[in-house]
Amino acid sequence: MTAITLTLNGDRVREEVEPRDILADLLRDRLRLTGTHLGCEHGACGACTVTLDGLPVRSCIVLAVMCDGRTVETIEGTRADATMDVIRRHFHEQHALQCGFCTPGMLIAARDIIARHTRPDEATVRRELSGQVCRCTGYMGIVAAIRAAAAELHPAPGADLRTPDLSTS
Amino acid sequence: MSADADTQGWVGVRLLRKEDRRHLLGASTFTADVRVPGLLEVAFVRSQFAHGRLGAVAKPDGARVFSAEDFPHLKPIDGGPELPSFRAAPYHAFARDKVHFVGQIVAACLAPTRAQAEDLADQVGVEVDALPAVVDTVEALAPGAAILHDGFPDNAFIHATVTEGDIAAVAAAAPVALRRTFRMNRQATVSLEGRGVLAYWDHRLDELVVTLSTQGAHVMRIGLAMALGLPEHKLHLIAPDVGGGFGGKNRLMPEEVAVCALALKTGRPVRWIEDRREHLMASVHCREHHYDITLYATREGRLLGLKGEVHIDAGAYSLWPSGPFMEASMAARNLPGPYQMQALHVETHTVATSKAPMGPYRGVARPGACFAIERAVDELAHAIGMEPAEVRRINLVGPHQMPYRTIGGMQLDSGDYPQALERVREMVDLAALRRRQQAGEDDGRRIGVGFAVYTEQSGHGAAEWTKRKSRIVPGYESATARMLPDGTLLLLVGIQNHGQGLETSLAQIAAQELSLDPHAISVRYGDTALTPFGFGTFASRSIVFSGGAVARATRALADKARRIGAHLLQADVADTRLADGAVHGPNGKVSLAEIARAANVRQEFLPAGMPPLLDETATYEPEESGGFFSYGAHAAVVAVDPETGVTTTLDYAIAEDCGTMINPMIVDGQIIGGVAQGIGTALYEEIPYDADGQPLATTFGDYMVPCAPELPALRIHHLVTPAHGTEYGVKGMGEGGAIAPPAAIANAVSDALRDFGARIWETPLTPRRVSDAVAAACGDRSEDAV
Repeated sequence: MTAITLTLNGDRVREEVEPRDILADLLRDRLRLTGTHLGCEHGACGACTVTLDGLPVRSCIVLAVMCDGRTVETIEGTRADATMDVIRRHFHEQHALQCGFCTPGMLIAARDIIARHTRPDEATVRRELSGQVCRCTGYMGIVAAIRAAAAELHPAPGADLRTPDLSTS
Repeated sequence: MSADADTQGWVGVRLLRKEDRRHLLGASTFTADVRVPGLLEVAFVRSQFAHGRLGAVAKPDGARVFSAEDFPHLKPIDGGPELPSFRAAPYHAFARDKVHFVGQIVAACLAPTRAQAEDLADQVGVEVDALPAVVDTVEALAPGAAILHDGFPDNAFIHATVTEGDIAAVAAAAPVALRRTFRMNRQATVSLEGRGVLAYWDHRLDELVVTLSTQGAHVMRIGLAMALGLPEHKLHLIAPDVGGGFGGKNRLMPEEVAVCALALKTGRPVRWIEDRREHLMASVHCREHHYDITLYATREGRLLGLKGEVHIDAGAYSLWPSGPFMEASMAARNLPGPYQMQALHVETHTVATSKAPMGPYRGVARPGACFAIERAVDELAHAIGMEPAEVRRINLVGPHQMPYRTIGGMQLDSGDYPQALERVREMVDLAALRRRQQAGEDDGRRIGVGFAVYTEQSGHGAAEWTKRKSRIVPGYESATARMLPDGTLLLLVGIQNHGQGLETSLAQIAAQELSLDPHAISVRYGDTALTPFGFGTFASRSIVFSGGAVARATRALADKARRIGAHLLQADVADTRLADGAVHGPNGKVSLAEIARAANVRQEFLPAGMPPLLDETATYEPEESGGFFSYGAHAAVVAVDPETGVTTTLDYAIAEDCGTMINPMIVDGQIIGGVAQGIGTALYEEIPYDADGQPLATTFGDYMVPCAPELPALRIHHLVTPAHGTEYGVKGMGEGGAIAPPAAIANAVSDALRDFGARIWETPLTPRRVSDAVAAACGDRSEDAV
């Protein structure tokens, strides 16, 4: 067992972990932060996305020992994040979730996309979402929500703040 | 969040979903999120062989490792139709004597963590005397094929024929006969949350509590009770948040029986959470149809009849309750699609192979049937030199012919099918596309357009399910509407919301009937101790059946509330009406909250002799239980690179009719999600097996699900023909989106590659398959030239 110390959602946490333990299992099974979901456990679906020192990572392929001395934020840590609240509201309004299993990872990825691209166009959002699998929505609502949230968070001078319309008829 | 000011009620409103909040906060509860003290995790030891005699299972000393010998009393869990011609092979939770597919459970290892349990699994030795695998669906029935199940005369669970009209006469007289083969390959259902089950004995309640990721807890209780030999009142099933199902969580699976048996045997809480590899290898598999069909027609493009043979690859066992049989009959009966023809004759074979057992997946059988008929219609159009959309138009059942019984025996109830086709034709601008094709593309890619028309049977009840010889007949749903003393409402329903927005849609129906705000309504499901019996959510049935039951229960509750209100207002009940959460009389109004208070805790205000409570349970089945048909037309526009075989979807248009929409936002979400999965079937998703029966796609590195960059923005047009005979005129629509895309996209790819003569007959249309088809066509041509 190896002792690690990390900052998790703003709190300092000390844990004993096995070298083979993955971050997701530490979060979910030991620390009971079950908002981080496991959809594939091999780094392909993005459901387990959290941030490590501010950057999105797949917690199913990050070893817990690698987080020693670093900062981790999970979906539970974003409940007081005003930016995330805007993104959440647009996910709600654009019907960007159905079963909800991919949603926490999607939100973490969405916040990162908006931070890096400010006002991304549709192709950019779709490309940037390529590592996040949603099996229910067909992504249209998610893409629309991210673009709408970006437009609200980063209004261009004189910008039209209306949200894109999901339906076409 | 409120109804539009100008609407009269809650039905038809784009109400934002009640279930979103917990998911957006990361505060939902899926099965893997439930923990109880003292939990042991299971790692299964699974067969590495596709077919073989099972020898000794060597277990490490003193470890918690269990196999079939530890559970002599567990009953097998095979299912299937109640037909004498259906052959059953016993399916045991732990393999006995033989293994029949890679991934079949041989043993279970228990430890405090999954990692430790997997360490144990590595130490278990399994002796298997390998036998030849049976892999190809059609060859499985060839003379000399290895027989999988002892006592089977051949590798079929059942052979059956669907026939109507005089196919011999049609064949003899038809000016055109076009024979083609088509194949839709094997897939997994791939809910993002895998399966999962947790079980423990609750000593206070004296029952086994089972938390299960399922689409129908009540029905699974029947199956588990049967397998475990427990009476049903000792089994309490809870389905918490369920992260997608798409059909795959609607069968009783061996892991579920095994975990319950392990909890009973060890006296400890036990859980198993499926990983993705297990899901792709050993969860419900689906699709895998092979069609050999001959379409008879006139030279003017009128369809006359269809003859053919359908092979369904059912995998090794027949899953409880209904097995794979419906797949074959539904495929055969849906082969004529929404077209008029005089005769149908289809031989079906439901074949056992050395693969994971087949179950339902969104669209069940119809994506394959739609793919086969719609591809054949395009081939016919090309053969006789007609525009494919035009061939469809002249053969579609028209609105004046409704109700119309197809030659496959489907009673199409209402709608305007040609109108749907015309709409998508306009949406993609067919004429402009044809001009663009003639002009050619600068980048060497080829543009193609493909159409497909589909029907989606929904709301079918006892008449249809008994015809299918189903051993469970999901002919109704039930709902309890319970008004609490403050006038808020609990709705207890037997369906299982797992992404469909039913907490919202059903609340809208109750709100409509009671003139309540949906925020004053809680919808509860997924707990056998809490809700009245129901069959769960599948077969596009919940809005028709459960919506109907909610309408009836809340209507009964509203009637009683009005009688109480009339009494409190000293008015005749005939002079009262329910509006804005109150009963209004000639001389004033009384709120539902006051009425509920009287009914629950102040009985002295009730009319003399009236029993207390506002608590109504109702069941619902439409009078006509043959089903109500949603339908639609899809048009796909693709660009295909003939050299690399890469297909890009440029445009995708949908015109559909699901009757009255309770919540148009949720309807659109279901369509878009269904089409995305249909595009997955068309272009990406496949579980191939090698000649030894080894599955070749067991990670998301090999099994491709569509991601955001691959999918187009869809365009949707709604036609609305309210159904006659359901509450509000609704029709079910959860599956329709997934039915037509393989056909529409394959037709578009074929259209794009028409100059080459490439043969497009098999899904998914991977780059390799498409470029091989082009190469083969070019090769054929150069040989012709020699």
